[in-house]
Amino acid sequence: MRVTLPDRFDPLDPATQPVVPIPGYPNTRFRNPARPPFRRGLTRSELTGPLDLAQKLRPGDSNLAVLAPGRMAQGQLIHVGGRVLDEDDRPVAGAIVELWQANGGGRYFHPIDTRAAPLDPDFVGNGRTMSDAEGRYGFFTIKPGAYPVPDSGRWWRPPHIHVSVLGPGTLMRLVTQMYFPGDPLNGFDRILLSVPDAAAQRRCIAEATAPAAIDGEWLGFTHDLVLRGRQATPPLP
Amino acid sequence: MSIANQPRVPTAWATIGPFFPQTFFRPGDNDLTRLTPEAPQTARGAPMWLAGRLLQEGGTPCVNAVLEAWQADAAGRFAHPRDPAWQQADPGFLGWGRAWTDAAGRFAFRTIIPGGYADAAGPRAPHINLTIIGSGIMGRLATTVFLPGFAAANACDPVLAALPPALRPLLVAREEGVAEDGAPRFALDLLLRGAPEAETPFFED
Repeated sequence: MRVTLPDRFDPLDPATQPVVPIPGYPNTRFRNPARPPFRRGLTRSELTGPLDLAQKLRPGDSNLAVLAPGRMAQGQLIHVGGRVLDEDDRPVAGAIVELWQANGGGRYFHPIDTRAAPLDPDFVGNGRTMSDAEGRYGFFTIKPGAYPVPDSGRWWRPPHIHVSVLGPGTLMRLVTQMYFPGDPLNGFDRILLSVPDAAAQRRCIAEATAPAAIDGEWLGFTHDLVLRGRQATPPLP
Repeated sequence: MSIANQPRVPTAWATIGPFFPQTFFRPGDNDLTRLTPEAPQTARGAPMWLAGRLLQEGGTPCVNAVLEAWQADAAGRFAHPRDPAWQQADPGFLGWGRAWTDAAGRFAFRTIIPGGYADAAGPRAPHINLTIIGSGIMGRLATTVFLPGFAAANACDPVLAALPPALRPLLVAREEGVAEDGAPRFALDLLLRGAPEAETPFFED
C-alpha cells in the first residue's frame, strides 16, 4: 500500500472555513477564543500523528441502515461514498472515517436530544470505517431528516451527515458536515452559510451518484473529503 | 514543469455539534500507553496522568467536548516517518488518545512522561499536543501542554517561545499529587474564551 505522507502544510484560506459566531448558536461565542491563534514553526510533533489508529478506533460499522439481520432502519436507504484525498489530489489510505447522523425523523440517538420526534428502534446512526488503498470510503445508511434548532429563531438544520476524519498526521484532522444536493434548507443553513466562499460551501454538498453506478437498493451520493497537506517536493512523473 | 496532480482545497470544517456519539468512546481510549484497549501498557517510560477541566466563557464547564492528545514516546520519538529515528520508536506506545469532558468539564489522559527531542526549530521540551473539538467549535483548536520540572527545557522550547512571556505559564501544567495507580498527576485547566491574561493560548498550524 502506497502511503501518502504530506510534509507541507500551507495555512488554510480563511474564506474556505467557517466564521464565528453564528447567530442562534451561543456556543460558537462561548467556546471560540477571543484572541487570534499564535503562529508557530512546525516541528516533529506537529508534523506527525498516529499512523495505525485502526487498532484503537476499530472500523467495521459501515452499514448504519441494518442494525441486525432483519432490523432495517426507517427511511430512504442511501449509500454515501467517495475518496479521502490530500491537497495534491493524492489518495489518503488508512484514514479513519467516523460518521454520525440523525434518524429519518431528524432525531439523534443521543441522551441530550430530547425533541419530540420519534426514535427509530432500528437506527443508532453512528459508524466508523477506514479508507482503502485508493482512499475510498463508503457507508450504507438512511437519509437523515431535517430538524429545527431549539431556541434559535426558526433555524432548521437541513439533512446532513457529520463526518470526522483522522489521517496520518494531526494537521490532517478534519471534522465536517455533508449536505444533500438540492435541499431547499441548504440555502438557509447558518452553519453551511458560515463558510464565506461559495465554492467551499458547494464542496460540502454531496453529488448524486448515477443510479446505474450503484446497487438498486441504495440511492447513491458521492462526497470527497480533502485533508490538509501537500508534498513539498512533487514526485517525478 | 508539469504538475501531475490537480491541487484540491481542504474541505471546510464544521462543528461536531452537540451529538457526537458517546458510543464512539471505549474504556482505554484516553490511555496513550496502549495500542489497543486490551493491550498492555507500554513498559517504557514513567507513567503520568494529564487531567484538567475544559472551561468556556465565564469559566463554566465545557461539557461533551472531545480532546485528542498526541505526544512523543519516553525517548522523544514518534512512530511516523517524519521522525528520522522513527524505527527506534517504542513499538508498544501509541502516543494518541481521546477523552471527552464530563458534566464538570473534566478530562483525563493516562500516558508516560514524553521525551524532548532536538528539532531544526530548536530543542523541544517534553510536551503533549492537544486538539479540542466540541459543539460550537468550528475549527481545529490546537494547543500544547508542558510539564513542570523541565524549567530549563521549557525556557528554550521554540513553541512556548512563540507566546508572549506572560502567557507561557498558562500552558505549563502543575503537579497535583498522585493518581489511584500511583502515577503523578499533572493538571491544567483550559479556558476556551476569557480575559486576555487567562484565555488559553491556541496555535495556528
